[in-house]
Amino acid sequence: MRKKSNQTDSLSQCPPDANPAGIGLRHAHYRGVTETKPDIGWIEVHPENYFGGGIHRHYLIKARELYPLSFHAVGLSLGSATRVSREHLQSIKDLVSIYEPFQVSDHASWSMSGNAHLNDLLPLPYTEETLSVLCRNVDEAQEFLGRRMLVENPSTYLAFRESTMSEWEFMNEAARRTGCGILLDVNNIYVQSHNHGFDPHKYLAGIERKYVGEIHLAGHMERESKAGGTVLIDTHDSHVRPEVWELYFFAISRFGAVPTLIEWDQKLPELSVLVAEAHRARDIILKTELRHAAE
Amino acid sequence: MRLSEVQDLFARTMLAPPEAVEAPEASIAALFTAAPDVLPERLQIYRNTIVGTLTDLLLATYPMVKALTGEDFATVMLRSYVLSYPPHEACLARYGGGVSDFIGSFAPAADIKYLPDVARLEWAINESYYAVDDTALSPLELLEVQPDQLSDLKLQPRASVRLIKSNWPLESIRTFCNEKNPGKLDLNGEGAQLLIYRPELTVEIIPLGADEYALFDVLMAGLPLGAAIEKTLAAFPPFDFGKIFQKHLELKTLRTLA
Repeated sequence: MRKKSNQTDSLSQCPPDANPAGIGLRHAHYRGVTETKPDIGWIEVHPENYFGGGIHRHYLIKARELYPLSFHAVGLSLGSATRVSREHLQSIKDLVSIYEPFQVSDHASWSMSGNAHLNDLLPLPYTEETLSVLCRNVDEAQEFLGRRMLVENPSTYLAFRESTMSEWEFMNEAARRTGCGILLDVNNIYVQSHNHGFDPHKYLAGIERKYVGEIHLAGHMERESKAGGTVLIDTHDSHVRPEVWELYFFAISRFGAVPTLIEWDQKLPELSVLVAEAHRARDIILKTELRHAAE
Repeated sequence: MRLSEVQDLFARTMLAPPEAVEAPEASIAALFTAAPDVLPERLQIYRNTIVGTLTDLLLATYPMVKALTGEDFATVMLRSYVLSYPPHEACLARYGGGVSDFIGSFAPAADIKYLPDVARLEWAINESYYAVDDTALSPLELLEVQPDQLSDLKLQPRASVRLIKSNWPLESIRTFCNEKNPGKLDLNGEGAQLLIYRPELTVEIIPLGADEYALFDVLMAGLPLGAAIEKTLAAFPPFDFGKIFQKHLELKTLRTLA
């Protein structure tokens, strides 16, 4: 099995080989997770939800005593022409020193323009200029935090005319230039392949194996378009769709036993439903590993 | 177009009135590959997420405003706030502090005179909820203080402490909002002097006497204990510091000296 290459601390902090699938920890499940201690390999949170004190930190400390933890930031706005906020980085760094996550990630997208933070993961034109902006921001963030980060591919509903490269080329090149890893969101790839009309397998085949440090899975919804056809929207409010599981199987066959996370943020189900989704991902990883070993 | 210009244009379009998305300008249409009949609904997905999630966040921060005005009214008002005052940073726990002032200037809410003060209370609750963790003052710590140093002691309220003063009966308004089958809102009660704080994990609201409120006010301004007591005593004779101090040691509203 691949060892996670971005670790400075003991391996016990990483997802265990026997259980490489985890869930996003959300407020509604704080007590469920810390009291029933479900059989999951790790947990992930948005560090932005822990900048203040009180109940959130209280439960994160308890959860951290039980599971390896990953920080998945949503506020660095790595794709903004504006530079990354030092204050935001400092807040994340403070949390890193307390909770010792095995991984820190954010997105290849932007939210901040001028003085406005738009609170969404907005699309980027894939150009040389954007690449150098993203790389500058990732370099600064990694240097400030003193560690390698992962950068996630977004879900998008619009594509830019001026893009000069595919998203997978953009992601590979960002990773090559900055040393960051790629957090591959398989649901996002599926959503985009439908919305922009490309083969998602081609995307996955285009991503270089060595960069992939984590995989995300989530639910999406399909909406009728007035112009005919449908658009897929990344909603994180339902089960992972069968088409995405299929694509995930392809991804694991290609990338190996990559730690995988079930993201579910809206209309949260019972904890047992999330755990069952994580088990499904775990079983796919372990079976694929067995098959590879047999070959 | 430079990336900064693209992002500036996109951000302005998202925060503009709905027509900017329903009938996009040529400059925004020129950015994307989407066909003219598809572009508006694709832009709308982003706008819905941006404005919708921020409005939902404020509805959750201001449940009493929502209960008092109804969900539809509160949604329109807070949506309008989001478009006028988007967040300046990614930490959303700190977003929405200007809602009270905004309500004061929001014409359709002009008849609900008490609403800005209700919003001030809710923002205080929000700040208290997210305040940094700290430890309460222990009576044992005071035994370590030399009697001649008591006057210079900087006795500080906990980081979660907020004070709210209003001419409106905020406590009965709050009770009204929390009731499942509320009767008629009675606004004839006395005004409120409240201390909001988080002793452990949940936020508590304590009504204060006038002297007690004045004492906390000067303590929060950083006055040393001796001067704080003198000032409060001058305004509210006879002020019984010992009794109030004992009460707040038990409530755990004061911060450790350590």
